[in-house]
Amino acid sequence: MNNDVETRLILIAPSSDLTPDRVARFVHNLGFLVSVKETCYGVVIEGPKEEVWHTLTEVRKLDPNRIFSKIRAFPMGDIRRCRAHHGSRPGFAQLEKEWKDLCLVEKGLVCLEKGEKPPELKKRTKMPVSDLKKFIEEESP
Amino acid sequence: MKIFIMPPNSLILYDLVERFGHQPLSLMGALKDRVNSKEIEAPPLNVTLDDVKLGLKYAGIEIPSGIRGRMAIYGPLIDQAEAAIFMEDAPYSFGCVGCQRTNELAKLLVRKRKVPILSLEYPENEDEAKVMVVEIKEFLEELK
Repeated sequence: MNNDVETRLILIAPSSDLTPDRVARFVHNLGFLVSVKETCYGVVIEGPKEEVWHTLTEVRKLDPNRIFSKIRAFPMGDIRRCRAHHGSRPGFAQLEKEWKDLCLVEKGLVCLEKGEKPPELKKRTKMPVSDLKKFIEEESP
Repeated sequence: MKIFIMPPNSLILYDLVERFGHQPLSLMGALKDRVNSKEIEAPPLNVTLDDVKLGLKYAGIEIPSGIRGRMAIYGPLIDQAEAAIFMEDAPYSFGCVGCQRTNELAKLLVRKRKVPILSLEYPENEDEAKVMVVEIKEFLEELK
């Protein structure tokens, strides 16, 4: 694959009203020179870097705080990864975890957009030794 | 500016860094060339002889080969980094970043380079997410 070609994942946050189908149709209608593949979390697009970037910019306008994106190393439909060819997808578990967190990140972006001051947080602490001792000494019924 | 992200395949960090106008240094970008190389049959599971040599620059010969192989990919990214963002408590048991020792070593090498670093934790609720996004934005704006 040419180095100027880029593959990108476009993910829709779970809190968005958009569907992968709608995003895929939207990308088709844009008329840029990119291929698009609908997935469970959004779409995968592939094409010349500039075209991919223009497409992403336009797609983001649909729901700016709920559409996220990152590049992908493997080309679209690569037989080593594509599930249609029984490829493995070792990174998917992390992607799934982060996809679930996107609705939290969205709240952060909205907070930033409104210029709100973020709340003050209590620092996460480790379990005190006394509590641990209590657990150890606890007798099972 | 080029920002090293940890976990290096993080979607959230990649998106936010790019959104706020910087270039994320990611695992996906580093692996792209290897994936498209005809020499390697099943990347990232296979490595070339050059990878092994390159890994030695970042991890000694006594270090397990898994760490050295990973460092062959992370190392050049760390060398390019002008700043870094670390997100702790990643679901390490999953995916290609499942090696905590590599992550520790990578973080150490970034710290040795004395570049600005922002350390965060994966958000567990809305308030934590708000703080995380605002901190990332402020950190990246200060770099410009």
